[in-house]
Amino acid sequence: MSVSDQAAPASPPAARGAAEGTPARRRRFSARSRRDFWVFLAFAAPNLILIALFTYRPLLTNLNYSLLDWTLGSTTAQFIGLQNYIEFFTSEGGRRTMLITLIFTVATVGGSMVLGLLFAVAMNRRLPGRTVARTAIFAPYVLSGVGVGLVWLFIFDPNFGALAWVLRQVALTSPQWVNDPNWALVMVIIVYVWKNLGYCAIVYLGGLQSLPTEVLQAAELDGAGPVRRFWSIALPLLSPTTFFLLITTILNSLQAFDIIRIMTPAGRGTNVMIFEVYLQAFGGYSRAGYSAAIAVILFVFLLLITVIQIRYVEKKVHYA
Amino acid sequence: MTSPLRTGLSRRTLLSLSGLGAGAFALAACGGPTVGGDSSNDKAKEVDFEGVKPAKKIDFWSTHPGGAKEIETKLIKDFTDKTGIEVNLVTGGQNYEEIAQRFQTAQAANSGLPAVVVLSDVWWFRYFMNGNIIPLDNLLKQLDFQLDDYRETLVEDYQYDGKQWAMPYGRSTPLFYYNRDHFKAAGLEDRAPKTWDEFAEWSKKLTEADTPFMYPDLAGYAGWTLQNVLWGRGAEYSHEWDLKLTEQKSVEAFQWVQDSVHKEKWGQVASSDSADSFAGGVCSATIASTGSLVGILEAAKFDVGVGFLPAGPVDGPVCPTGGAGLGIPAAIKPEEQLAAAEFIKFMGEPENTAQFSAATGYMPNRKSSDMSAIIKETPQIETAIKQLEHTRKQDYARVYLPGADQEIAKAVASILNDKADVKQSLEGLQKNLQGIYDKDVKPKIEKQK
Repeated sequence: MSVSDQAAPASPPAARGAAEGTPARRRRFSARSRRDFWVFLAFAAPNLILIALFTYRPLLTNLNYSLLDWTLGSTTAQFIGLQNYIEFFTSEGGRRTMLITLIFTVATVGGSMVLGLLFAVAMNRRLPGRTVARTAIFAPYVLSGVGVGLVWLFIFDPNFGALAWVLRQVALTSPQWVNDPNWALVMVIIVYVWKNLGYCAIVYLGGLQSLPTEVLQAAELDGAGPVRRFWSIALPLLSPTTFFLLITTILNSLQAFDIIRIMTPAGRGTNVMIFEVYLQAFGGYSRAGYSAAIAVILFVFLLLITVIQIRYVEKKVHYA
Repeated sequence: MTSPLRTGLSRRTLLSLSGLGAGAFALAACGGPTVGGDSSNDKAKEVDFEGVKPAKKIDFWSTHPGGAKEIETKLIKDFTDKTGIEVNLVTGGQNYEEIAQRFQTAQAANSGLPAVVVLSDVWWFRYFMNGNIIPLDNLLKQLDFQLDDYRETLVEDYQYDGKQWAMPYGRSTPLFYYNRDHFKAAGLEDRAPKTWDEFAEWSKKLTEADTPFMYPDLAGYAGWTLQNVLWGRGAEYSHEWDLKLTEQKSVEAFQWVQDSVHKEKWGQVASSDSADSFAGGVCSATIASTGSLVGILEAAKFDVGVGFLPAGPVDGPVCPTGGAGLGIPAAIKPEEQLAAAEFIKFMGEPENTAQFSAATGYMPNRKSSDMSAIIKETPQIETAIKQLEHTRKQDYARVYLPGADQEIAKAVASILNDKADVKQSLEGLQKNLQGIYDKDVKPKIEKQK
């Protein structure tokens, strides 16, 4: 039985109609399709194999581990079904981790986007030294997270730090940035906003510079002031940029790890989900199964956020 | 227009995709741990080294404790010159946790394991429970290790179930460091306080620094440095596997620590390494590892004094041991294990442990190590060595329960930073530690028997 003979009964009417013809024609079409398929495979297979091996296989392996009670380093494990997932959602530690993740994500995404937009608006004006300002604002984004963490840790040191010195000049005492869990979260949020706002600013700047000037000029002629022009025209026209930034910064925030690990190695108050994955497996507990379950939950959250944004938020976007 | 995605999904395609999915799941299930069934793989096995010849080349994973890379390289060269066995020195991590990550990951992958690995006081027991390391007893006998010349407490730290699971390497104890200039300015004697109560009195006169005393940072082994306070007050984290955190003496000990910070205000908690705060003059005294001694002496711009950890009203002077030992993985060839044991023996020779000690500030593991030249150069080391007479093996709860150090640090952080109710915090801690013991430890140690 040939391939075309097998495929024909399963084809829907529309496809079948298109494929109908003389047997010779069908054979020619089939032979060409097969040739195209092999060409496609020759080009795509190396990438598909690599993706399957290094992305999807670990993903599935992790899913498998998440169903186990497995101590890292042990050669044996017990199948416990969804117990790790139940523990994460019902334990106080799991709930706290989700709350910390939510606060961190909202604060870093909101902070870097709002400040990024403000900087973009400022940098879009013809001011002296704006090239230097653009470079200075964007530079932190490309710096190593480890280096950034170490430098900021010194700045935040309540005894030696530059910030403590500044606060002492105005008769204030430095908070215990690292030891106090609430301040520790504020600390890492500040650093992430500082590091990421340059990215938002540059993307927004690109958006601002591509706005149709005739629309803004028309509004100006109609008597709209700068604030009105910004809120009623520029901002809605920037919605594709905002949408793009919203997706990328949320995904980045949910995967933020390096600075948190460097500045707060114990993760007290800063154990966002991805850091909790690390802490549970490698931070002393060696709970590889539980850690894998948190990683799967994080993966599902990321997937849901992306789907929701694409299905619902994108509809509100105004493409010029 | 019909979506191409819809038209392509025939029953056959669906079946093919299902097959692919099932295959992928089957592939995902390959590797990693054996699920269910026989768990005897986790039991460490005795190895017979009769007729085994040592390997010609082995890997040694180290954290280079106390900046030991240079001295390790030198000692490795001496070892190769003596035995012909090449040792590849690998930086396994910056600290004990990082090397543990790497070692456990290699265990999970069952590849790339070293022949010798640095393992800390809180990690080796986990490797024992998982069957990751071999008992060294046969090797100690075959290679004629002179155990009676090793310092007993440092060797006993790695004994469990009647077997020796590692040998001491970069061993340390906490040490009391004080700023002699500050003490002089306060009109105090040039010595460490004999008791904590004495220091509480002295602290009223210590006004030169931001704070008289700095507790070590909570991320860095709070449970280790506070062990002395507990023992001094007749308390303990646990007596063997019996947790003692909610007993009155333990509550009083932690209450005393909290009061020193919030009521009497002579203590603060460091944000980073307390050795740095001390060397920078932020505090007049602190507790830090003997492994920090060389670094502090190099960094401090004042006269550094050291002393035994102060005693409590019930017991003391008393001090926990700490630091790292050397172990041999189970999942490597006997030839490599034998070569590894020869290397461990060499690193523990009296003259070599003395060199290591001089370079890092860690304790000499052998009684016969000639430390006179080193003591002449750095007299403070003598105090650390003398304090070894007052060392005690740490409580099981801190060193044998996975994650207990992190749980203790969290509870101490609540008590010291959030002024949390001491009794309530310790009850929570005890509950968590009991859970870890029941779930992760008890079944495994029963299996090892």
